[in-house]
Amino acid sequence: MDIKTNPRTLRWAKRRDKAARWVITIGGVLIIGAVVLMLLLILNVSIPLFQQPSSNLLKRLSVDSDALGHIFAIGIDDYKEVVYAIHEPNDVTFFDVQSGEILERMTLDGQASKQGIHVTAIDHWSDHRYAMFWSDRGASAVEIRFIPQFDSSGSRTINFEVTSILEMRDANVSNPGIARMRADAGGATLAFVGDDSMVQVVKSTATEDLFGEVSTKNEHASLPTPLPGVITLLELDDPGITLYAGTDEGYLGRWDLSGPAPFVLTDSLKASETGSPITALQTVFGGVSIAIGTANGDFATWFPVTSESSDGKRLQKIHRLPSHTASVVDVVPSLRDKSLITRDSDGNVRIAHMTTERELLSLPTEKLLESHAISAKGDGLILYQKGAITIWDLHKPHPEASFSTLFKKVWYEGYDKPEFVWQSSASSDDYEPKLSLIPLMFGSFKGTLYAMVFAVPLALLAALYTSQFLRPEIAGVVKPAVEIMASVPSVVIGFLIALWLAPLVEGYIVEFFLSIILIPVVFVVFIMIWRLFDGSHLHRKVERGLEFIAVVPVLLGSGFIAYLLAPTVEQALFGGDLKIWLYESVGERYDQRNAIVIAFGLGFAAIPIIFTMAEDALSSLPQSLKAASLALGASRWQTAWRVVLPSASPGIFAAVIIGFGRVIGETMIVLMATGNTPIIDWSPFNGMRTLSANIAVEIPEAPVNGTLYRVLFLSAAILFMLTFVLNTAAEVIRQRLRKKYGQFQ
Amino acid sequence: MDNSNKQVVSSNFVGRGEPQVWATGTALSIILLIAVVLILVVALNGLGYFWPSNLAQFNLADGSSVIGEIHGEEVAKRSGTDRVQLKIGNRDLYGLDFRWFDRSDIEETSFPENAIALERIEYGNFYGFLKHTDAPGVELDQDDTRDAFELAWKDIKDQQETLAAMDGEIRHINYELKRARSKRHKREYAEGITTRTENPQSPDEIDAKARLDAVASEKDETVARLAVNVAVFTDAAGTEKEIRLMDIERVTRPNAMSISEKVFHYLDKLVELFLGEPRESNTEGGLFPAIFGTVMLVFLMSLFSFPFGIIAGVYLREYAKQGILVRTVRIAVNNLAGVPSIVYGIFGLGFFIYGIGGAIDRVFFTEQLPTPTFGSGGILWASLTLGLLTVPVVIVATEEALGTIPQGIREGSLSLGATKFQTLVRVLLPMASPGILTGFILAMARAAGEVAPLMITGVVKLAPSLPIDGQFPYIHAERKFMHLGFHIYDVGFQSPNVEAAKPMVFVTALLLVLLVLVMSSVAIFMRNRMKKRFSVSDF
Repeated sequence: MDIKTNPRTLRWAKRRDKAARWVITIGGVLIIGAVVLMLLLILNVSIPLFQQPSSNLLKRLSVDSDALGHIFAIGIDDYKEVVYAIHEPNDVTFFDVQSGEILERMTLDGQASKQGIHVTAIDHWSDHRYAMFWSDRGASAVEIRFIPQFDSSGSRTINFEVTSILEMRDANVSNPGIARMRADAGGATLAFVGDDSMVQVVKSTATEDLFGEVSTKNEHASLPTPLPGVITLLELDDPGITLYAGTDEGYLGRWDLSGPAPFVLTDSLKASETGSPITALQTVFGGVSIAIGTANGDFATWFPVTSESSDGKRLQKIHRLPSHTASVVDVVPSLRDKSLITRDSDGNVRIAHMTTERELLSLPTEKLLESHAISAKGDGLILYQKGAITIWDLHKPHPEASFSTLFKKVWYEGYDKPEFVWQSSASSDDYEPKLSLIPLMFGSFKGTLYAMVFAVPLALLAALYTSQFLRPEIAGVVKPAVEIMASVPSVVIGFLIALWLAPLVEGYIVEFFLSIILIPVVFVVFIMIWRLFDGSHLHRKVERGLEFIAVVPVLLGSGFIAYLLAPTVEQALFGGDLKIWLYESVGERYDQRNAIVIAFGLGFAAIPIIFTMAEDALSSLPQSLKAASLALGASRWQTAWRVVLPSASPGIFAAVIIGFGRVIGETMIVLMATGNTPIIDWSPFNGMRTLSANIAVEIPEAPVNGTLYRVLFLSAAILFMLTFVLNTAAEVIRQRLRKKYGQFQ
Repeated sequence: MDNSNKQVVSSNFVGRGEPQVWATGTALSIILLIAVVLILVVALNGLGYFWPSNLAQFNLADGSSVIGEIHGEEVAKRSGTDRVQLKIGNRDLYGLDFRWFDRSDIEETSFPENAIALERIEYGNFYGFLKHTDAPGVELDQDDTRDAFELAWKDIKDQQETLAAMDGEIRHINYELKRARSKRHKREYAEGITTRTENPQSPDEIDAKARLDAVASEKDETVARLAVNVAVFTDAAGTEKEIRLMDIERVTRPNAMSISEKVFHYLDKLVELFLGEPRESNTEGGLFPAIFGTVMLVFLMSLFSFPFGIIAGVYLREYAKQGILVRTVRIAVNNLAGVPSIVYGIFGLGFFIYGIGGAIDRVFFTEQLPTPTFGSGGILWASLTLGLLTVPVVIVATEEALGTIPQGIREGSLSLGATKFQTLVRVLLPMASPGILTGFILAMARAAGEVAPLMITGVVKLAPSLPIDGQFPYIHAERKFMHLGFHIYDVGFQSPNVEAAKPMVFVTALLLVLLVLVMSSVAIFMRNRMKKRFSVSDF
């Protein structure tokens, strides 16, 4: 040994030891930190779902109201850079938001000023489309368009233009203040209350003939109005095929204008219980619901549902939104979702979401408000009062997600009652995502429960047998074999279940059920026969832990008997075809990928886990317990059932919990073998969609940081926490068991 | 534990509870039976796929005749008729691959010696007979149609190899072009030009483009030259079908093959399986990219998960003060192993891809935006995700392995003057190594079989290029990759012709099961041996 180098080596070693201590400690803490980080990040992505929407004042422009005259309507472009006001006599003025300067003032109709006529009232629909009613009782429709342009350096300029959609000089509109018109290149629908207080409807259709000549055909109809009271408001949906009218006694009428005249009054009902005059009528984005505001501040949305009393669909009050304290004077729908911006006569402006029935935002009260509008993207709101236009930034990223839409029954448009629905996307733009997590959680639990019904008895009984009765040398092989089963990739199990087992079970469904019944029967018969040999040599030999081999013929035999008997049984009980019988007599549809095959697949994944842990719990009990029981004369079954099993029960319980946790988050098997239909139905013949499979199905299509994306993260967080709680419970139970029986060893 | 108490034994079989014992035994048998059946189903279907089955010709009662491989047979449940399923192939002629025939409709079944089975690049297999060969591009002096065909086909196949070389070159030049373009974009971006043009502008690009065009036109010429060489075949009904020789991958006459030829064919197909590229949207051909992807994924995962797992395990067992906190952390780590893998996938997507990857893109690949480079799924992110998923396995294994080492060994080492680190590195880790190794193998087995988290972190149905190739910088960690497990899901559930794709899925499933089973068997075997070595018998 070289003593001279010793101090140096020692220093070295000590320094290295110190460094290693630090590295390992930091590394260890980091890893553990990563675990916490994981949950935090997942939650962090989903939390904005529940954030309160916010608003902030972007700009207040002063407007020379005297120079402009009466302002009929205001609007703002998508980038919140240009604001416009349509005002007297028939002009539109564009303002720059940043500087507040007037960019341009143009006339809406060059001809009109020459003829000395002016606009008397304006109706607005969709994105910057306006119907104008003139002093000569004519009507016309224009669209204001914003065209953003990017130059080579990437900076943006917003160009704007006014295009005419249609003109109806001979419309003879009376009461222009409540007249409504919807128009596009294919035609127009105009509705107004005539001088005789009948509702007048003009439908004009433009047709293009062979030579490109456009000819228009006008259809006039005068609708009798059996509604009590005087009509205060009319409203048309965007395609102009449904007409609503409200009266000063709170009554509402609805006409169907889709066919040719005569137009049918499909609904006439009292919309306000107190008979308060209807002061605001507005179709909600999508055109199915109508929002009704009354003079006493009540605000609710209605849509047609199938009623029991009559054929067809009748309007029904669906969502009651937070009421105002004063008369609701104007409602503007969001063009992105089912939000509605309401204004009352006291100058309160509120944004409410129809489906979730909650108030998203309310702006500070400003008296004397004259009109308000929302940007097409729904992130900007402008208000006008004499002398000023105020522009607000709105931040309401996830209006359709709330605790109640995620976890409670919601009455969606087109449904006859409130339901749990998951349907995140559809082909049309005005589709409202339906994001109830309940069907998915139900699917997870259904699949798991069916799997546990299959797996738990098998795994626990087999574990009991392996630990207590099986020959130790065979147990030494069986245990690792079952453990290896646990590592069969779930994608392989899923594939086998879906493409091999599911068609097989479908083809032999009766055989399948029959053998479930037959196995116990044949087993009992077998035991009765076996009893006769009690005490014989063969008997003694088999009963030394080889029973599991001896019953294999019993299992195969009962399967074979089931196969032979099945056609007769099916003929006798189910008229020859179980699936048809199920459908006709029970009303159950048989899906090929159903809960039965899922139970097999998930069960197969869970059995090795439950088996291994339960077996560990059973065989780690002190042998002295068992020895004492046997010495007192108990049989091997009595010992196992009355002594070993109760002592190990916490461990067995833990095994079941961990198996449950493993199955509930399993993805590939359910993704492949469930059919992925998000329905709530306990039937074993139907499929389901689980939380985990839903993530795998939907996340590739979910835009980053969108509502769906966050909801999927939320479902991942739910899965995480669920399994974490289950596993922790199991772990605590196991540790307690270890402590309790540790003293024996 | 022997319970041979004579009086009780002979007194009452039922009262003793023997039927119940039998019932528990039945449960075990059921489990084992299910396992055996599942493994058998995979093995039989997977192994049998490459065996060239004979071509049966059915002359049907209506006078028509059809040829194909007998695929299945069943007695229809209700009518009781005996039916045969024939794989008729010739998708371009018939539109479907399989057909059922009632036994009663088949007048005669024969196995013609000269029936030919062609594996084609497109449209699946062709079954029929050779009529004549029309190969102006090949000099033939054979009169026999059959020999002429074989010679011409072999010749064309040889020539086709130049095509493969050209494809490689095209890929190479394309890559150069792409690099040159992104270099220019980077330069332009630095100069403040944000509008990007894809048209070649820099000299490098123009040069590469010119070479690319040259090779491409050369390739087109070769293809045109080879494409005129055709052979005419007839199906069983006599319909003629002209097939380009270059589209034929493999020619067999199964009815005339001897056993040894069939074995040879089988091995040939196995080689193709391991080394070949997939064809026909993965339902035919080889699995090489998927095997490569799986192996590389597991390897990368190991690089991340093993060192950190060991460090965390060592920390928890040897360095951390044992107390309530460490106990909690231990439970938490144990539980992480039970967190659903899809949750890890979601985390990988949110944290690695959009978080870290997005940040990398914003800092280093600004000029490429909005096209993501690291900000979309790739093998790096997938293996990091899997690393996170398997870290608990390694931690637990390390901890357990260290825990089984008697305290006396530590004390011995320390009392001899070794530092804690020396004790750890020289004594404890070597002793724990079998246990840690077991953890590694279990982690790798789990990683190889996991699919769900990969689906959202970068696995694809068909990756254009491998994550490692001969082009600078050789390892492309941002690339998407193929995977055996995903291959099963994709081919089995997303392919247009599931019935025809099924055999391939069974092959892949068998491969994956074998891989994982072998790995975990080794791990479990090692663990059991280690348990014996350290455990002290006390009863």
